[in-house]
Amino acid sequence: MTIKDLAKRVFLVEILKGMALTLRMIFTHAVTRQYPEEKRPPFPGFRGLHALVRKENGEAKCVGCGLCAAICPSKCISVYTSEGSDHNKVVDRYEIEVLRCVYCAFCVEACPFGAVVLTDHYEYSDYSRAAFDMDKEKLLANWDKFMAGPKGEEYFKRFWRPLSEDYATPEDQPVFRGGAGAPKALPGKETVEVQGGLSDAA
Amino acid sequence: MPAAPEEIGKKEVKTKELTVNMGPQHPATHGVLRLVLELNGETVVKCTPYVGYLHRGVEKLAENRTYMSALPLTDRLDYISSMANNIGYCVAVERLFGVEPPERAKYIRTIMAEMTRISSHIIGVATHVLDIGATTLFLYSFRDRETLLDLFEMTCGARLTVSYPRIGGVRNDVSQEFIDKLYEFTGYFPETIEREYETLIDRNRIWLQRTKGIGVISAEDAINWGLTGPTLRGSGVPYDVRKHAPYDAYDKVEFDVPVGKNGDVYDRYKCRMEELKQSNRIIRQCIEQMPRGPIMAPDAPKFTLPPKDKVLTDMESLIHHFVLITKGPIASPEGEIYSATEVPKGELGFYMIGDGSGKPYRMRLRSPSFVHVSVLPELCKDALIADVIANIGTIDIVLGEVDR
Repeated sequence: MTIKDLAKRVFLVEILKGMALTLRMIFTHAVTRQYPEEKRPPFPGFRGLHALVRKENGEAKCVGCGLCAAICPSKCISVYTSEGSDHNKVVDRYEIEVLRCVYCAFCVEACPFGAVVLTDHYEYSDYSRAAFDMDKEKLLANWDKFMAGPKGEEYFKRFWRPLSEDYATPEDQPVFRGGAGAPKALPGKETVEVQGGLSDAA
Repeated sequence: MPAAPEEIGKKEVKTKELTVNMGPQHPATHGVLRLVLELNGETVVKCTPYVGYLHRGVEKLAENRTYMSALPLTDRLDYISSMANNIGYCVAVERLFGVEPPERAKYIRTIMAEMTRISSHIIGVATHVLDIGATTLFLYSFRDRETLLDLFEMTCGARLTVSYPRIGGVRNDVSQEFIDKLYEFTGYFPETIEREYETLIDRNRIWLQRTKGIGVISAEDAINWGLTGPTLRGSGVPYDVRKHAPYDAYDKVEFDVPVGKNGDVYDRYKCRMEELKQSNRIIRQCIEQMPRGPIMAPDAPKFTLPPKDKVLTDMESLIHHFVLITKGPIASPEGEIYSATEVPKGELGFYMIGDGSGKPYRMRLRSPSFVHVSVLPELCKDALIADVIANIGTIDIVLGEVDR
């Protein structure tokens, strides 16, 4: 052991370095959010609480094809239909058991009409389980509350995928811009550093 | 009658081994792992892990789902690296179907997988360090993980259970904002590792005493136990699926496989820290090389949903759409395949059997954490109780994947 190593051991150098780091952190900006008071808006396309889209005439857009129920991995959607007066299909009941849902948004992808969406609402809690067995009225109310208007259209289009452009090469496809878009260069090394019993392979 | 003072010490005191139940509700067992420890004083004589508290039957559930809707099940295996599991599943199904995703999708997947690796490794190291007694690193690493989770949310609308890749590509394209922000992150992240993470614990004497020479497993034993990932590489075996059987864009990027020498807790920790830097390097190369192009394979409508704008205008697309959702892919092959991918914990293998119907006949999972739990009795033998915690942390298990 050299004198330098001995000095490091005696004067707790590595501990002091760590303490200096934590002390420096006091003078930086806090990254913690004071959650219930301070909320971060979810990104567009966030997969939150369900809603059924309302048409201009106030009715649900859903036609009762049952594709959402067929693709649902947790089988939490049930659709009941019957024959209407002029032989059309009428959606009698549309129910989502929200507590069983896994929020994969496959129902949104499967729906050919864009009639079911996931909203940006993520704070739902209640005292009873029954409040989470959403029927058609509750789901339409969710739409009115969280997604109505142009916001809803824009929002669910983000996960209404795939589109034809996914099979093609769009003009404005984002790629690495280099130069102007690139932040400061990587200070990292090209090879693996050998330290503390490590040797590089491959 | 109590013994007289002079009699004490002369009498033979009988000792016996004490059996202690650790878990399943123990904060240091990373979930619901139960260990039965037979102790002689403070030394562990025998350690027996009991698993199954989180069993959900993912393998069986997948048999009743179409190839597409079985995907969210894989999110919930190793729930802190769900993207890597999704990619592993999609690669397996693609190999079964004989589909090749386009270049751009491969690069996007590689970026996502490496982001997951960073996020999983910093959680693995942070909780490991927290178990041993250091809190600061835990807080710093969660700050960096937040950046990555925000990027996941920006791309696919979920932070943890992403369900982002699809058979034959990815769900949607990445945005320019994503690319710029991620590139910025990769610019300062290696510096953060060196300046903050390594300053705090790399040379810290308490950390060194708790990790050096603890939980040693030789290279030969590690291979015999079937360890993979950083847990194996800490013992000096340079086995990495990304190098040995490249998938996605791993054959187009340069990276090193860090290996340890002593096979102890410290070397495995060091491997994970080194892998963070390598993952960072891979992400940077992928962003720089990522070409323009489609993100779904051209023959994708045969096994994933057709373009939405065509469903209501094109008859063929509408039929495909209905059949795919209700029955699964029409042209499902018969046959079986084993496909391995390197997830943050190790080698995740999917053994798929297709019987020509739209659902997998059998989906067997080879999950790295399950294999790693089996080595725990070996690591804990003749160790101290305190080292049991260090050993659980070092094999980096997630109980969602152990119990499936």
